[in-house]
Amino acid sequence: MSVNKNEVLLEAHDLRTWFEIKKWGFLHVGFVRAVDGVNFKLHRGESISLVGESGCGKSSLAKTIIGINRPTDGELVFEGKSIKAASDGDMSEYKSEVGFVQQDPYGALPPFMTIQRILEEPMIVNGIKDKAERQSRLEEVMTELKLTPIVDFLDKYPHMLSGGQQQRIVIARSLVLNPKLIMADEPVSMLDASVRVEILELFRKIQSKRELAIIYITHDLSTVRYFSERIWVMYGGKIVEQSPVRELLLEPAHPYTRALLAAISEPDASNIDKFKKVPPGEPPSLLNPPAGCRFHPRCEYMIAGLCDKKEPPDFELADNRITACWLFKDKEDASDVAI
Amino acid sequence: MAQDNLLVVENMHLYFKTRNGIVQAVDNVSFNLERGKSMVIVGESGCGKTSLGRAILRLLPENVCRYDGRCLLNGEDIMELSDEGFRKKIRWKKAALVPQSSMNSLNPVIKVSEQVAEPVLLHSLVDDKDEALKRAAAAFKKVGIPVDFLGRYPFELSGGMRQRVAIATSLITDPDFIVLDEPTSALDVLTQANIMNVLTRLKQQIDISFILITHDVSTSSEIADMAAIMYAGQIVEFTDARTFFGKPLHPYSERLMESVPTLEADDKLGYIPGQPPSLINPPTGCRFADRCNERFELCSQDPPEFVVEGGRMVKCWLYKESGERYVS
Repeated sequence: MSVNKNEVLLEAHDLRTWFEIKKWGFLHVGFVRAVDGVNFKLHRGESISLVGESGCGKSSLAKTIIGINRPTDGELVFEGKSIKAASDGDMSEYKSEVGFVQQDPYGALPPFMTIQRILEEPMIVNGIKDKAERQSRLEEVMTELKLTPIVDFLDKYPHMLSGGQQQRIVIARSLVLNPKLIMADEPVSMLDASVRVEILELFRKIQSKRELAIIYITHDLSTVRYFSERIWVMYGGKIVEQSPVRELLLEPAHPYTRALLAAISEPDASNIDKFKKVPPGEPPSLLNPPAGCRFHPRCEYMIAGLCDKKEPPDFELADNRITACWLFKDKEDASDVAI
Repeated sequence: MAQDNLLVVENMHLYFKTRNGIVQAVDNVSFNLERGKSMVIVGESGCGKTSLGRAILRLLPENVCRYDGRCLLNGEDIMELSDEGFRKKIRWKKAALVPQSSMNSLNPVIKVSEQVAEPVLLHSLVDDKDEALKRAAAAFKKVGIPVDFLGRYPFELSGGMRQRVAIATSLITDPDFIVLDEPTSALDVLTQANIMNVLTRLKQQIDISFILITHDVSTSSEIADMAAIMYAGQIVEFTDARTFFGKPLHPYSERLMESVPTLEADDKLGYIPGQPPSLINPPTGCRFADRCNERFELCSQDPPEFVVEGGRMVKCWLYKESGERYVS
């Protein structure tokens, strides 16, 4: 069965997730605007990387998408159905369509359960009563993840496995329900470089074989090229740039994306005499984000009177790119703005 | 030409006793670091790089069962010193440590200025507290923190600022070298670049050496003059960083470099199949042999440290003949 890659799987319209801050438990202080006006379209079988610094709201967005946080405002549309109005029953059905791969494999696996139990549990919760079917699905995903010979693993506990194997169990667990979308929150950041690539490649293979849509969250731009077709760059609770990977790496549009790319180290001996160009200041507080563009206090191309007053809308560029930056008003191509 | 060596380590061993057996965390490690140069110790987790850093500074846990070798700092054998003598003469004054996740080790209820000033007071390098605070202010300037941050508490600072505070603490006693254990691994890309800029500037401005312990080959290239590659408790390659990043020699270094993702190249990433050996019962021959795709008969014996062209040390049988790579 092949999926239509032009069909939209998940759509967000002006999605907002705010967390209320209270003093002494009842006085309202303000809202942390972790996700603040996010729009996107995710197609079937598409692999996306969501990139941003810590505290920019990427994990909050992830949790909103998988249904742990309910959005404060805006809506999420999955296969044409809005999640906002979903009943609890619909919601649990939605959750079974969306898998989650946690960041820290050791923390994500219950230490007192055997691998068999860990992998079976999602199926039991979601009402797959036939034991033989559970077993066959479990063996299928374990083979896919090269956790073989299977019998060697089933009776083990998580602490008996290496970091790479634990992460593969976490991925296997997210796959047993045959989801359509996987949310992977920094799946390899806790692993060593030599294992990291192995896991990413394996994951990528499974993704294209099963035609899964994946949102891969990371702060490491250098791995995204190996994993996804498109990148979303997030800053201060908003997605500031959406672009195909290759175009973004060759020609970043948004000034923040440029800064991120410039900061990445490559193993090169000539680095030793060079200083990196880093924008001054710190990411904004999401409790009191700056007016206008959220990057403007750190941006060297800031247009006074515009960037600090009005929030930039999403401008569409060639090659299917979108960026929220005033520099690209009435422009068609990322290269039209020579900075 | 006589080399002016800051630190010479010879045949360093550090073994730990555990319930399962003896862990050979640092096994016969030798290297020398010239004055004013910085080096990086790269390796996978569990290869003993943190243990090596701690062995140099003699910050050892209780279950040590073997700790020997020679360690010359400015020509003086610091392994001969008593623990108290080491604490008084070497630690902080000559050699400081920025431990792993030190940004989270700051005391939350004490102002950062006092925490930064503590080492100079403890080692009575200054007469009174005012002077110590002045030195703290100077150290803050060196790492690029605004001086008015002195009166703040750690929770008022961001992660990058706290990491700078940790570096300032290690600088305040004017040591000859600082061991930095994974100083940027928990930080974001931009903050990481900022910290590396700080270290590069310090290196240019003051006479100091860094020993950077990291698993991240890319960032290590920013400050390292020398690169030591560690595998399973041993240094398998020790070379000039300039040549290393262009052309690693040891098969393990090569595989490691292939697994580093880069932005430009379209090449496929490599990875190393299998897992590093247990340090409790390491294999007798070359410790990398099981995962190496170039192994041959000799690899079942422990390779000596061959010195090849450019004074590069490599612990691999492929280089046994006058530095030329052996082709089977």
